[in-house]
Amino acid sequence: MEWKMPDLGEGVQEGEIVKWLVKEGEKISHDQHLVEIMTDKATMEIPSPTDGVIEKILVKEGQIAKVGQVMAEIHGGAAPFAEKRVEEKKQPSVEKREIKKEMGPRPLEAPRSTKALASPFIRQMARDRGIDLEVVSGSGPDGRITQSDVLSYARRGSSGPLQAGETQEAPSPLPSFGPEERVALKGLRRKIAEHMIASRRTAAHFTHVDEADFTKLIAFREKAKKIAEPIGVKLTYLPYIIKAVIKGLKKYRTMNASLDDSSHEIVIKNYYNIGVAVATEEGLIVPVIKNADQRDILDLAKEISRLSDAARARKIALEDLKGGTFTLTNIGSIGGVFSAPIINWPEVAIMGLHKIKPTPVVRENAIVVRQIMTISISADHRVVDGAEVAAFLKEVIQFIETPEELA
Amino acid sequence: MKQVDVAIIGAGPGGYVAAIRLAQFKKNVVVIEKENVGGVCLNIGCIPSKAMIHASEIYQKMHHAAEIGFTVGSVGIDVKKIQNWKEGIVKRLTGGIGQLFKAHKIDLITGEARFKTRRMLLVKSAGGEEEVAFDSAIIATGSSSAIIPGFKPEGKYVGTSTEGLSYSEIPKELCVIGGGYIGLEIGSLYAGLGSAVTVVEATASLLPGTDPELVQVVARELRRRNVKVLLNTKAVSWKEMGGKAKILVSKEGKEEELTSDKILVAVGRVPNTKNLDLEKIGVALDAKDFIKVNDQLKTNIDGIYAIGDCAGQPMLAHKASKEGLVAAAVIAGKRELYDVRAMPAVIFTTPEIATVGLDEAEAKAEGYTVKTGKFPFVASGKALASGETDGFVKMVVDAKTDRVLGLQMVGAGVSNLIGEAALAIEMGATSEDMARTVHPHPTLTETLMEAAETVHGTAIHIFQK
Repeated sequence: MEWKMPDLGEGVQEGEIVKWLVKEGEKISHDQHLVEIMTDKATMEIPSPTDGVIEKILVKEGQIAKVGQVMAEIHGGAAPFAEKRVEEKKQPSVEKREIKKEMGPRPLEAPRSTKALASPFIRQMARDRGIDLEVVSGSGPDGRITQSDVLSYARRGSSGPLQAGETQEAPSPLPSFGPEERVALKGLRRKIAEHMIASRRTAAHFTHVDEADFTKLIAFREKAKKIAEPIGVKLTYLPYIIKAVIKGLKKYRTMNASLDDSSHEIVIKNYYNIGVAVATEEGLIVPVIKNADQRDILDLAKEISRLSDAARARKIALEDLKGGTFTLTNIGSIGGVFSAPIINWPEVAIMGLHKIKPTPVVRENAIVVRQIMTISISADHRVVDGAEVAAFLKEVIQFIETPEELA
Repeated sequence: MKQVDVAIIGAGPGGYVAAIRLAQFKKNVVVIEKENVGGVCLNIGCIPSKAMIHASEIYQKMHHAAEIGFTVGSVGIDVKKIQNWKEGIVKRLTGGIGQLFKAHKIDLITGEARFKTRRMLLVKSAGGEEEVAFDSAIIATGSSSAIIPGFKPEGKYVGTSTEGLSYSEIPKELCVIGGGYIGLEIGSLYAGLGSAVTVVEATASLLPGTDPELVQVVARELRRRNVKVLLNTKAVSWKEMGGKAKILVSKEGKEEELTSDKILVAVGRVPNTKNLDLEKIGVALDAKDFIKVNDQLKTNIDGIYAIGDCAGQPMLAHKASKEGLVAAAVIAGKRELYDVRAMPAVIFTTPEIATVGLDEAEAKAEGYTVKTGKFPFVASGKALASGETDGFVKMVVDAKTDRVLGLQMVGAGVSNLIGEAALAIEMGATSEDMARTVHPHPTLTETLMEAAETVHGTAIHIFQK
């Protein structure tokens, strides 16, 4: 039987093959995990629908497989059909390995000939990728279908002009000037690379910086910690900053928005899902605190701990990585003066947090030492202007500096 | 018992090409050939006929050399030497394929194969019978000359193209039954070598199915060679009388008797789909005994493929080869398809006819608004310098998009021009693309560029109002 990439749920259309967990010729049993796949959101292992022998692996590690694409040929054993269907809907994650839909064999759609304006090579290229040229729109003269039309269709499953992050031409190899090591760009690293380029190419980045005085908040948190610690909650500054940010977002609503390029509309969001960047061994991921505006400080602290623990243990659920409206990234734990983060597109803005340092500042014409943090915001100038971002940040800082109004 | 990945029956231009491609895909291949590697094409078809046509052309050129300024005495013909020369060419080619087989470790069995089961062949050869079990099989058994009642080859007078290319002397009189491409290629070559040729054609025109505009140019040359053409005429019977064949023909009810030294039966070809026990394993044939295949060359039986003449029209060596490549790729698990937009066809008469894509009538029938351009060889410097100015190149384009739909050509050497036309169609070129492409001077290829210009009324070397 041909084993196809199952429906991964959540509208996920494709995933990268991170690792095959079985080899060609290996005997496998029903539910044995066959392959590790990374989607836009998470990594998951996919179980076998049948007993049998892996005859042939058709998609190599590092390649992108689409839902429905034949991944491997399994010899022997028909797939159970209906029983998979009734399994309860759970989110796929490293721990929960359920697949929602049936994985029974369906006949591979036979390629068919077309009248599309494309050369013999392009026609074969499309067949190799299981693409029907009749549905690909060509970007060449008279609608001629080019190599990049097919490649971008293969990548996106739809036609249209190239999107940010997609390259027209195959890049030429880098020259070498000495001994080197080459590591495949795959998995999370590749996702980050693609996502960052997409952001850079789409949004009109600019960065604004200001200073926040944390002196009061430090004292305030010290008191609150005494309440939090006995009940097992690790309380950082982050819940307070999130609270302040939400106050700012509610006042400057275009900071909590996206630009929908397909309709040329600014989508202002009436929900507040705050992403918090977490460094993991594989790379940076951004778990999302849902409805952060409806949570109190302790609740936020608990959710931050849960999400960052899950992320570091690679057990994060797909659902926890989706739907962010504004992102925080904390560079301060390592050091540095200030950074200009890249927007977590399609969000409009990202806030960079830095180290709180005792700093000489002027208050009432006298130099005093205060606990100061540099805060940067990178924003999409297509949606917001500098004055708005400056006012937003000022608003946030004002709340940070008057913590009693946050709790 | 042998066990192979793929068993191929027939080593013609379909089978041998498929075998080599499968070997490139690292498949373990056995080819069973009942006669000689290379099939009809190399042994008794395309190649020997082209060699004989070449010999005939040289003879013709020597006769016309006086027009240029040579003094030519009488030119003798040593038919035996010509035949040896032709056989030498065939041997070199078939030997080459034998070497390629060895290099690719393709197992060649000389013998006859039939299906024992859907996964096993029974092969009868000089060494006895053996079973060959396979995962996939390709039937590439080709076709044979069709025979009409009363004209069975008997060894002396009546023969098909096979005999026609191996006459031990130039027949003084030759009667060709069938005015299709085989009859005219061979008839015309013997007319060139001095035979008095009569062509008996049952329909109303020579080369039925070919654009009459093209046929007309060939018919003119046949007249120059004193070839007698009897249209709407049926060959009824023949008998030997006084060392000659007497042939009774019937033209619209009126009977006539012809005499001839040889009778060449060239009334088409029929697929070789008998004696394979196809019915036993359930492989479906169509009404004309061709094996039914889909566009991946699969028969109705899983794992069994058919390519070339035995799998349907057009019966062309290059179609067989292309199908062989597709079948090999499909067997190797690739998502291949017989996806050909331009299937060129060449008739090696004097002058040659070459076509690809749609002709004007076909394009109109398909609903296109058509524009055409036509450029005569008489306006080509190269054609004039070679003394071969008969014929023209005609281009058919879609008036709406300017895309090239087809080209038809008749003239000396057009067989070598049709490849460019096929590429243009496969690439979806417009006539303007072809007009804007620089073609070298002085060559016959310029006529394609000029034909493209004539579509737009902008040809340089002919005047268009």
